[in-house]
Amino acid sequence: MSPAPVEVDQPDVNQDDETATDRPWIVLVWNDPINLMSYVSFVFQKVFGYSREKADRLMLDVHHKGRAVVSGGTREKAEMDVFRLHEHGLWATLQQDD
Amino acid sequence: MFLRRKGPQALRRDGERTVILLGDDERALLVDLAEQFRSVLAADDDPDLRRLYPAAYADDAERDADYAGLVHDDLLRTRLDAADGLVASATAESIDDEELAAWMQVLNGLRLLLGTRLDVSEEDGFDPEALDAPSRALLAWLGFLLEEAVESAAAGL
Repeated sequence: MSPAPVEVDQPDVNQDDETATDRPWIVLVWNDPINLMSYVSFVFQKVFGYSREKADRLMLDVHHKGRAVVSGGTREKAEMDVFRLHEHGLWATLQQDD
Repeated sequence: MFLRRKGPQALRRDGERTVILLGDDERALLVDLAEQFRSVLAADDDPDLRRLYPAAYADDAERDADYAGLVHDDLLRTRLDAADGLVASATAESIDDEELAAWMQVLNGLRLLLGTRLDVSEEDGFDPEALDAPSRALLAWLGFLLEEAVESAAAGL
């Protein structure tokens, strides 16, 4: 048996807007001349639980390319990650992935 | 004044703890710096503190102001607590990982404040004749301590 069809009110959403709000947020860390390389790698390991190898690779990306994407997810998660990075003195920002 | 240590090392991992090998003069200097850091943080009006409170939303001033309003006091509080933690443990023979985290937060925070004040860049060399040479030497000393703190903390992860 199949249940009786239910009439559902389709919300009138603009497809572009929906896609925009669904786009994930990314957390970027930017190069700065003060923070020590070993310290930046340590913070990635401590805050995100990354392996030494992954943390070093991200740190070197920051150092050589000027920035690196270090995490991402919902806006709330990205804000929390940025907060923890700021707490440790890293220069981090969040933005929607494009 | 920095030569009273018995060896070149300042901090050494020993099991769950970090042994502090600093001489009394270095410990006193560190306490003095932590107290200065605390005063600047508490006054909360020094533009050179900007690296400690970076923008979270680089391209959205309104969202960034909302975010800063939510987190500023929390960031300030953890740094004041860290400064207190360092002062309280500065004469100890060894510290646990929580105290080590406070030390690192103060060492790095002081470096961000001092480095911003000195407007340092990655290309800077050290000129002993320069007017800011003493401050740059201090920045290097803080960096040396932080390197050793990182090494010990990484061993404890």
